[in-house]
Amino acid sequence: MQGLPPSILSADLADNAVAITVDADLYPLDAIYGASFTFLDRCFVFLERSASGFRVTLGAKDPRTDPAALRPLVGEFANELLACAWRARITEKNRATIEAVTMQAIGGAMGPAASLDELEDFDFSEEPFEDPLGIAMSWEEKYGKKSSDGVDGADGGDGESE
Amino acid sequence: MRELRFDKTLYEGTQVDAAVKLYAGYGTLTLEDSDAAWIVRVEASSRARERRLAGELANYALGLSIRTRREREA
Repeated sequence: MQGLPPSILSADLADNAVAITVDADLYPLDAIYGASFTFLDRCFVFLERSASGFRVTLGAKDPRTDPAALRPLVGEFANELLACAWRARITEKNRATIEAVTMQAIGGAMGPAASLDELEDFDFSEEPFEDPLGIAMSWEEKYGKKSSDGVDGADGGDGESE
Repeated sequence: MRELRFDKTLYEGTQVDAAVKLYAGYGTLTLEDSDAAWIVRVEASSRARERRLAGELANYALGLSIRTRREREA
């Protein structure tokens, strides 16, 4: 197969499958899992251990597939493998930074914690906010039928009809 | 007959079991436990059917194993 070193490839054309040997020093298992998972919907993927690392077998789902179609499949898998390995390395390298930034973001969103003294001084009787246009009122309060005693809505609130 | 050797360091045993249970209705599946691998023997009515059954079973076991390991690490 052109474009890939023959030492890492072996093809079983009768079975429409091709196997790639992956060096464990270059590609971590997480990268192999990531690339394999991406290809599960396109071909049959089978993983094995080999002397130098891993052996990934990709088989065409349709047995009538032209063996030539395996070449781009292998190439795309190799590219995906490299991308996954690189992503894993970047994540590992930046783990401390990512954790620090995430913690700061979560801590900032939570805001400073209120002390018990502050809670004690807080005036809960105060109205939450003014609503002169009745935006926060329910539909029933605003437009509900007048009851027999002349009070609007179920809760007796003042409606727009007044 | 096809034989799939699921390496114990790469696949989760429970997920291989789940895959075997799921596809048991499509052929004869025999599960054997060795030191290094779970061995699944696949037999079906034709060679093409065996190939497809083995492939789908392997994909299912791999997908579940990857998901399980990622959830465990998270």
